[in-house]
Amino acid sequence: MSELDELEVKLKALTEAEIESGLDVFKSKLREAEVSYLNSCVHCGLCANSCHYNRAMPELENVPARKLEHIVSVFKSKFTTIGRIAPGLVGARPFNREMIRAWVDAVFGRCSLCGRCSINCTIGIPMPSLFRAARASLASMGLVPSDLQATVDNSLKYGNNMAIEKEEWVETVEWIEEELQAEVEDTEARLPLDKVGAKYLFTVNPREAKFFPLSLQASAKVFWAAKEDWTMASDAGWDLTNYGIFNCNDDQAGAIISNLTNAMERLKCKVLVIGECGHGYQSARWMGPEWLKKHFPYPVISFLELMYEYLEQGRLNVDPNKNTQLVTLHDPCNLVRHGGILEPQRRILRRVVNNFAEMTPYGHENYCCGGGGGQLSMGKYKSRRLKAGSVKASQISSSKAKIVATPCHNCVDQLMELNKEYSLKIQIKTVAELVANAIV
Amino acid sequence: MATIDFKGTCIELNEEGFLVDPGIWNEELALVLAKHEEGLEELTEEHWAVIKYIRSYFEEKQSAPMVRAVCKGSGIRLQQIYDLFPSGPAKGACKLAGLPKPDGCV
Repeated sequence: MSELDELEVKLKALTEAEIESGLDVFKSKLREAEVSYLNSCVHCGLCANSCHYNRAMPELENVPARKLEHIVSVFKSKFTTIGRIAPGLVGARPFNREMIRAWVDAVFGRCSLCGRCSINCTIGIPMPSLFRAARASLASMGLVPSDLQATVDNSLKYGNNMAIEKEEWVETVEWIEEELQAEVEDTEARLPLDKVGAKYLFTVNPREAKFFPLSLQASAKVFWAAKEDWTMASDAGWDLTNYGIFNCNDDQAGAIISNLTNAMERLKCKVLVIGECGHGYQSARWMGPEWLKKHFPYPVISFLELMYEYLEQGRLNVDPNKNTQLVTLHDPCNLVRHGGILEPQRRILRRVVNNFAEMTPYGHENYCCGGGGGQLSMGKYKSRRLKAGSVKASQISSSKAKIVATPCHNCVDQLMELNKEYSLKIQIKTVAELVANAIV
Repeated sequence: MATIDFKGTCIELNEEGFLVDPGIWNEELALVLAKHEEGLEELTEEHWAVIKYIRSYFEEKQSAPMVRAVCKGSGIRLQQIYDLFPSGPAKGACKLAGLPKPDGCV
């Protein structure tokens, strides 16, 4: 059964009561300020050019204001008096199957929740929050694309999003420990598991364990060189990802983030370190306390901050001449625009490579690679994802860089696909991989 | 949904180029997928060692093996796997072995 059929089958099976309750979920996710924003778009059109979807594929449905309009029209029809009495006058439209289809297409199919439209909006409408409220509503009706939901379900069942068994994870860690020992010629080099009371609890993306363990080896090499007291969990609590931020089911997101908070309590570590990942950082640092409705009694930091601290403190001896090719940096939206981690990665790169150039634009104004917002896991929208990524591909070409560094495994995977699709002839690396390579 | 021609039959691939029905896989089909999806004109002994290990693991456990297991089971070193399959172990090797796309950030 194709994904398209899947949606149609689910739509057909929806009852009126389920649709009604989906609307209630939408409303329950809106704070007062967000409700006022639903009525504030002045149709200036600035957002059109800010969106990588619309830049790559200019058409009405790709304009952020249009995506918002689908949502606003339903809100007016259901929750405003004038919208109920005279819908035609204010553009209010009913939440029927046709409209639900439009919502799915707009918020799952044409948006990576990157937030670039929001910072370019004259009013400052918080589009990602509003689109997330719409996704939450669709999630409550069971309309999350099945491959995105499967990734969430893996985390709930296995404690990691790739359904990796504990023995497989532990065996991989032991293997990488051997590889690291051979690389640095030190039999004392360790990837410590379950070390109670360690200063730092380090977390990784399961794709490192499953398919790309060299990035884990690079991070471990940095810890080794800095002589750090660190550990990882052998049970749930080693995976930093949380696709609950993408299906927008806050209960599921909360259950997944609990894996990290439980591991912190179990292992009595002092600081939670989120490995190189955009949404993982955003989830643990900013959303986690919201989902669990509790304060995290320890700092949550990005591994980038820690690596920068090591360089500042002189705990890593690095030689930038080990990385001679021109390097540029891709900014993950969740880490930079949403997460606020902007400078550490640049300061690190300026120390560990001898040829660094920014893309244009970069930082808060960066363009999404196209893989964010759960897009990478929603096969149905692959063709749009790769087209939307053409904006990033052309930024990379213009930079003339041979290596694109990015502190996010989700971005790494999308950039690998863009590399193939647009024949960019680049290498894609995490920041730790470049740091590790420069260690002398 | 894309299709490829295989001995006069239409083989269905999903949006990401993975077999819609992993059960129909065979070695000749792997060769067609290699050309169509990975741009590989031929598959060497090393390619086959990786593909066959992944396939037999999948047939037993209905999931993709860890790359650790692939290295051990096929005797191919990690870096060589990346060199052999330009799209990597998941979107390259697993795809040619006829597996469904793994979940997660891939």
